[in-house]
Amino acid sequence: MNAVIHWLMVFATLIILPPAVVGVIRKTKARLQNRVGAPIWQPYLNLIKLLAKGETVSSTASWVFRAVSAANLSIVFLVAILTPWLSFKPNVDGDDLFLIVYLFALMRFLMILSALDAASPFGGFAASREATLSLLVEPAVVLSLAALALPQHTSSLTEVFTTWSPDSLEFPLWLLSGTGLFLSSLAELSRMPVDDPTTHLELTMVHEAMIIENSGKNLALVDFTYAVRLTVLFGLSAQCFLHAVVMAWPMAGAWRAVWSIGGILILALTTAVIEGTAVKLAWRKVPEFIAYGLTMSLLAAMVAVARGLPP
Amino acid sequence: MPHHSIPTPLFAVYLAFAVWLFGAAGAALQGKRTSHPLGASLMGAGGLLVVWGAVFGLHESAVWQAPYPIFFGVAPLANSLDSLSAVFLLILGVVATACALYSPAYLDHLKDRVNPGLYWACVFMLLISMAEVVLSANAMTFMIFWELMSLSSVALVASDQSNNRAPKAALIYMGATRAATALLAGGFLWMHSLSGSWEFARWSLVDTRFLPPSLLIFLGLAIKAGVWPFHLWLPYAYPAAPTPVAALMSGVVSKVAIYALVRLLVYGGIGNELFAYAVLFLGTVSAFWGVLFALAQKDLKKLLAFSSIENIGLITMGVAVSLLSRVYHLPDLAALALAAALLHCVNDSMFKSLLFLGSGAVHVGAGTRNLEQLGGIVKKMPWTSVFFLIGSASICSLPPFNGFVSKWLLYQALLLLAGDSQSLVVRAIALACVGVLALVGGLALACFTRAVGIGFLGRARMHAVERSREVPSGMLCAQGALACLCLLFGMAAPLVLTLLQPACATAAGAPVNIAGSFTIPLPVLAALLAGGGLVAYVLFLRGRHAGVREYITWECGYGDLPVRTEETASSFAEPIEHIFGSILGYRIDLVITGKDRRHFPERVKEETRQESLLESRVYGPLIEAIDWLSKRFTRIQTGSIHLYLLYMLLTLVLLMTVGTQL
Repeated sequence: MNAVIHWLMVFATLIILPPAVVGVIRKTKARLQNRVGAPIWQPYLNLIKLLAKGETVSSTASWVFRAVSAANLSIVFLVAILTPWLSFKPNVDGDDLFLIVYLFALMRFLMILSALDAASPFGGFAASREATLSLLVEPAVVLSLAALALPQHTSSLTEVFTTWSPDSLEFPLWLLSGTGLFLSSLAELSRMPVDDPTTHLELTMVHEAMIIENSGKNLALVDFTYAVRLTVLFGLSAQCFLHAVVMAWPMAGAWRAVWSIGGILILALTTAVIEGTAVKLAWRKVPEFIAYGLTMSLLAAMVAVARGLPP
Repeated sequence: MPHHSIPTPLFAVYLAFAVWLFGAAGAALQGKRTSHPLGASLMGAGGLLVVWGAVFGLHESAVWQAPYPIFFGVAPLANSLDSLSAVFLLILGVVATACALYSPAYLDHLKDRVNPGLYWACVFMLLISMAEVVLSANAMTFMIFWELMSLSSVALVASDQSNNRAPKAALIYMGATRAATALLAGGFLWMHSLSGSWEFARWSLVDTRFLPPSLLIFLGLAIKAGVWPFHLWLPYAYPAAPTPVAALMSGVVSKVAIYALVRLLVYGGIGNELFAYAVLFLGTVSAFWGVLFALAQKDLKKLLAFSSIENIGLITMGVAVSLLSRVYHLPDLAALALAAALLHCVNDSMFKSLLFLGSGAVHVGAGTRNLEQLGGIVKKMPWTSVFFLIGSASICSLPPFNGFVSKWLLYQALLLLAGDSQSLVVRAIALACVGVLALVGGLALACFTRAVGIGFLGRARMHAVERSREVPSGMLCAQGALACLCLLFGMAAPLVLTLLQPACATAAGAPVNIAGSFTIPLPVLAALLAGGGLVAYVLFLRGRHAGVREYITWECGYGDLPVRTEETASSFAEPIEHIFGSILGYRIDLVITGKDRRHFPERVKEETRQESLLESRVYGPLIEAIDWLSKRFTRIQTGSIHLYLLYMLLTLVLLMTVGTQL
């Protein structure tokens, strides 16, 4: 019974939450810029509109182009099922941190190929930048998660996120890992200091330029995939932060899920504030921003290494 | 030791030798009239026999010693087949069979550029010698077939007569093999004088006295395997060799060196902490260095050659972790790390030979391997493209393909080493290696999305490439078979690990459960992925209601874009080359000329340059020094026989003095 409820809850959240998170970011950003902004549910309306539309496909593109959109949607759902980003997950084996990291990599692999498929200069440029960003971010993500997994002697994320040991180093470990993950997610998701998600033009050119050839239903799939990816990645960081906040965490059942969703929304608000106040970095400066994330995860790794050693 | 009855697994392998010897003799006799299909069928038949023998050998070990007249001076020709050699025989058999399928059509394309008699004779000698190296039970057998393996592969690298880079490549490779052999011979002699035996089974390296010879042996094997900084010959030799030879060399020859590393050093039980750290360091640097340089290559085969260095680095890391765990008395972890290394050997031999065969197919079908000219061949060569895509996904260790499993085991071994160890230094180093591994993974992803995305997708960057055609079915079958194996070995990972279990248990010195350590149900996840993807495709993208309209790529309203606006291989790699510029020796020279060159430049010339600093700063001066020294030495070479007799006398006196003094 519990299992069925878990499945239903995860799927319901997966359908409802991701566009809302994107909507919250956009709305907050608009308010910060003294605009009214589109309503929070606007991303749903966009998706519905796109799903009703036809699709224009480049004559240069091969089967790869359209297959990737369907495949990536499937991969992101699998990731969402395997990862305990809501503090629980359906009963499917394979919640391994390296598997999750490499499923994200698989998504990126396909995404880059699809961007290069139409031979668009925009797509090619963006694909190159995406590959660069991801290789810089990868060590930070892996190290953050590995630092959490180290004391538990397992790479199973569920076990990592459900165990809790009273230890003076617990707080900095979770906090640093969470920060490392969050900063890396900003780069990974092509958010503001790295890329401007509102335009595909000129100097930004990462995510939006990669999907410049996608339209109609295809674009709807890509947008939805992006929203789920964002929610799951924010969910992972939120879990870390919630672990760091000791008082709020050891609560039972449904409340944990509610808190998790709350955490995701808080991170969405944070993102909006960053995007409302920060400027887009010059491309050459982006590695410096990613270095902050990497430093956080290195510090987390150091804490993890020092923990549990005989004095 | 049974002398006359040959055990079953070995019998199958010897049967393969008989087939290959027959082929070699036939090719030598027939010379230029040797038929490619016949040679290939003998190669394939032998390959299948070796697979058969290897499958038997995984469970029962077998030894055989040649009867008296066959004797190598100090030791007999002795073979022993155990679970470790069986793993490498399996690799040999599989890759040889795939190359056999591939060869006839490919060699027909080369026409008279290779001499069929010489080519096939050398291929058969290479195959026999590789199998014998893996089977050899004593140092003499090993050394003789090691030499035969080196020489036949040198001849094969030079076999493409119209390739003007081949002689230089063969010379560099020859130099590397000479250095490797010299170091190995020194190490073996030293080992013999310390242990008093030529038999590998009696060599135990536990004592610190054995450290210097082990170091010599390691260096010799590292050169052959292509570990940094001894990797220089690889990017020359692999692209120059005909494709099946490149696949054999990358898939099997380098793995044979890894086999010897495991057999002699890991099984020998070397227990020196510093040594293990040195191996770990070299492996980590190789992995990073290889993939970084692979990313900067334009020639598809050269890219794969550098990527081989990366994978050898990953395997070496696994071996090093295994050595380290033994030092810290963690037998389970030693077995796990060795399993990661061995499995990566198996996996790399499959996807790397698949990719090499794919690059050869691209060369045949499109007429070039240069990424700056390729593009858009996914529509012209659909099957080759799909297989190359699968190979790339495997080499980037993406689930559910086989590369993921071995990479996962390596991550796991490092994570457990960090978790189990009580020393701060070990934990920090192990966790740092996890970080480097992640960086290497990211670089590999960039490298192979570039190879596939620029090489196969988009539009052709050179006119001639638009006329590319799919290659003949034999070449496709070989690639298809390897691609299927890549998927199969990923899905059936626990089963494959069960096969590796005996070999790993020997290293741990205790029974271990390797198969149980891989807990991810890849088949279930792959089925979920495929099902989900299919549902999404059918629901949203398929059918007439999808309303698909074809139109040109978005061009900002300027009219159809010329091909020159498309992303090139160099521009794709540029941001990454910029970041790692100091390692790559990457420079951009910008020359702007014109009267008012700031506002109205007449001519803008931008040139990117890349130099291998290791080659120009380290090996170049070294070779020059040797050259200079040998020129000085030519003075004593006067051509006067009297003087030569004097030299001989002096040497004799010297040797006798030294001999009596010792």
